[in-house]
Amino acid sequence: MPADPSTGDVLEVRHLTVEYDGVTAVDDVSLRVARSEVLALLGPSGSGKSTLLHAVAGFLAPTSGEIWLKSRRVATRERAEPPERRDVAVVFQSYALWPHLSAVDTVAYPIRRRGGGRRTARAEALDILDRLRIAHLADRRPAELSGGEQQRVGLARALARHASLYLFDEPTAHLDTHVRGVFLDELVVRREASGAGGVYATHDAEEALGLADRVALLNSGRLVQLGTPQQVYAEPVDLWAARLTGPASVLTVTVVGARDGGASLDFDGRVFDVESTGETSGGEAVPLLVRPGWARLGGELQGRLLAVRFRGPHSDYVVDTAVGNLLIREPGPPRYAAGADVGWTLSRTWPLGRPGADARSLAKL
Amino acid sequence: MASRPAGLGRRSGVLAVGVVIALLVVFPVIRLGYVVWTEGSGHLDEVFGGPGLGEAVTNTLLLAVAVTAVAVPLGAAVALGLRRTDVPGRRWWRFSMLLPVLVPQFVLGYSWTQAYARAGFTDTVFGLPWPSVLGPWGVWAVLVVNTVPLTYLLTAVGLATRAEPDLERAARASGAGAAAVLREVTLPLLRPSLAAASVLSFVLTLESFAIPQVMGTPAGFSTVTTTIYRDLSLGSDPLSFVEAITLALLLVAITVLVVVPADLWLGPRLRVNRVADSAGAPIVTPRGAAGRWIAGGLGVYLLLGVIVPLVALVTTAMTPAVGVSRSPANWTLDNFAAVVNSRTTDALARSALLALIAATLLTLLGGCVAVLERGRAGRAMASLVTLTLVLPGSTLAVALLIAYGRWIGGTLTLILLAYLAKLWAFAHRPISGALDRLPPGELQAARASGAGALTAVRTVALRPLAPALLAAWLVCFVTALHEVTMSSLLYGPGSETLAVVVLNSAELGRVGLTAALSVLLTLVMLVPALPAWLLIRWLRSPRRACDAAPVGRLSHAG
Repeated sequence: MPADPSTGDVLEVRHLTVEYDGVTAVDDVSLRVARSEVLALLGPSGSGKSTLLHAVAGFLAPTSGEIWLKSRRVATRERAEPPERRDVAVVFQSYALWPHLSAVDTVAYPIRRRGGGRRTARAEALDILDRLRIAHLADRRPAELSGGEQQRVGLARALARHASLYLFDEPTAHLDTHVRGVFLDELVVRREASGAGGVYATHDAEEALGLADRVALLNSGRLVQLGTPQQVYAEPVDLWAARLTGPASVLTVTVVGARDGGASLDFDGRVFDVESTGETSGGEAVPLLVRPGWARLGGELQGRLLAVRFRGPHSDYVVDTAVGNLLIREPGPPRYAAGADVGWTLSRTWPLGRPGADARSLAKL
Repeated sequence: MASRPAGLGRRSGVLAVGVVIALLVVFPVIRLGYVVWTEGSGHLDEVFGGPGLGEAVTNTLLLAVAVTAVAVPLGAAVALGLRRTDVPGRRWWRFSMLLPVLVPQFVLGYSWTQAYARAGFTDTVFGLPWPSVLGPWGVWAVLVVNTVPLTYLLTAVGLATRAEPDLERAARASGAGAAAVLREVTLPLLRPSLAAASVLSFVLTLESFAIPQVMGTPAGFSTVTTTIYRDLSLGSDPLSFVEAITLALLLVAITVLVVVPADLWLGPRLRVNRVADSAGAPIVTPRGAAGRWIAGGLGVYLLLGVIVPLVALVTTAMTPAVGVSRSPANWTLDNFAAVVNSRTTDALARSALLALIAATLLTLLGGCVAVLERGRAGRAMASLVTLTLVLPGSTLAVALLIAYGRWIGGTLTLILLAYLAKLWAFAHRPISGALDRLPPGELQAARASGAGALTAVRTVALRPLAPALLAAWLVCFVTALHEVTMSSLLYGPGSETLAVVVLNSAELGRVGLTAALSVLLTLVMLVPALPAWLLIRWLRSPRRACDAAPVGRLSHAG
């Protein structure tokens, strides 16, 4: 199972288990991050995202398993290298700026620790602050900066480390929507420029799907699914993963016939063909995942509108159908009022709750 | 409309508490200054020219500097060792570090003399006496042992509230080693806490009385407080009275000279602007030899500082007379039987009653000030109450004696007034701190749910405040029970407290009886302290579980 450590991965975690205070916070997790790849760790609070990051950074020692950074084994149960000797940089949730240092001294800090002289360190730090467009804040202390500015200084400090792996511990959790957007845009630009790998912990599905090359879903310390954003969104391993990664409706229907790339489904007496990307076999009742964009109003199936919500760019319709409640999202303002009888149809579904439905799924609860 | 009566109530509350402070502290101190001015005119030259005063002041200042210079680094090292390394049995060490303050100062000093002086425990058992335990070195050592728990606590609180674990992690992840993080992040963050610990250690040493009295006076080493005591209780000529009141005023002047600049510098820096995030435990250096070394160091410190002296004290109490071997064959309870007489039990009853009344009134008064200081008018009052913390007990006692001695001199009432004035801040601080930690939203939510101001406090705030109220009560009770600085100046016939009885017994040279009384005085404290401490722990436990869950913080305003 352990791969040849001479591959181009900047991070490899093998069967990592971390316990502290008697709780197994990370439970037998294995994953890799390649050069210039960003892996998002997506999970609710308490799912072990931060613990996993802290183990990779070197703040916590593994209870079992191994951590490799650029084909160098840095942590085992017996021996864990301290954070300062690992080639990683960290951006913290609460910014973790030192109250006694100005922005420029904060960013110069990693350069000084590398052995840079005071003047060269400050010059390079100013350069990084300038690239992040906050050079005018160089002499301010954290107390004089807004949350968004503080987090940009935190990012600048991490960039100054010139690490081959960047760890982001929910860096936007305390930022409001606009500032978060600005920060994420900068992150994307920096990432393309540096070629380093990244691990980004978040509980926000939109952020994870929009930012990462691959997404790892964590629940109670276990890796539930690992795949591209499209995979975890369209083909979640179970209901929990489906709800975590975005709005999800679940319909209970009977499969009456399966064919390549599609299936015939019995919707309360009406047989209906859909494009289905999962394996299904006839005769059984299965829970089907329907994402809001996979269904549309106007079709031969009947339902009644329970609720209609205008969301700006699109409108959400909750349809009460014979097989369950269904969320449909369509562009533009609402076309119907709540209580109206409407027709609807499906273009795509995904069968839930079948272990092994996705070859890439690693574990199911 | 409801706001007017409430505002009036608050204003009259501030007024009432202000009057109490004025009567207890402000008026007596002003009166002291006035009396020094009138009585002293003509005598001051003689007083300042005399040999005693200069020596006492020099000794006191040197002692304060020497104690602070050692107790602060030691306390900080203990805090860092216990909070930042993987010392085996950390929880136990954290508790046992507080042992030296649980023993009354007088008892700690006396037990050191029994342990290390000639014919003491180490001399008779190992043949290893430390003759200079009586005198400046012994006073210094015991004051250090007595101060370290305080400097340790202040540093540990600073570590918990200022040095957020993420700040240290960020430095490690920036390439700094453990030593560099300590030097460049942790210690700079702790600087205000260390400065506060230094000021407090300095001031507490200035006003310390029991330890210099029991260990310094027999060797002819005098401090300001012991000189005041000697002048007032032994001196009979008017000159010694003038010397006592002059020294009392001088002591408060020195204190103010140290505290006021420190407070101006520290005040804004000590205000905690960030609550420690619950984002995991601090970095702890993993299992290694360092932990065992630290544990060994702490063990030696506790052994030599507290355990050996207390063992010596108990064996002295159980040995019939000086010179008799301390072997178990000679052990007897005669000394205990001899001290249990009507004089002792009366004193014990008085002490317990006094401490009970004082602690209860102080919790009420401290709570009043903590609530009233939330308003603008109350803030100056709270500062004044905090200042009484550093007002030397000797000065306060002399001032109260001069102001009210004519009417209530030598009565328990005067001693009670002294306790109230001196310990007010002890009760105020924990309650005020707990109120600060109470999220404002909780009370607002209660009000928005239809509760009146008082009902909201009773139903929502009282439960989370209960541990702080109990802790304030407990601290006041134990401190009042042990108090000897002021009691020894203020007592009269029929109003000796137990601590005064012990002090007098020591001065009469009754070794075995004093040791037995000391053991008694230490154990009496446990009677209310143990149940109260267990109750506090029980009250705090359900909140503990909630704290473990990560809590989202409000974003910093831009």
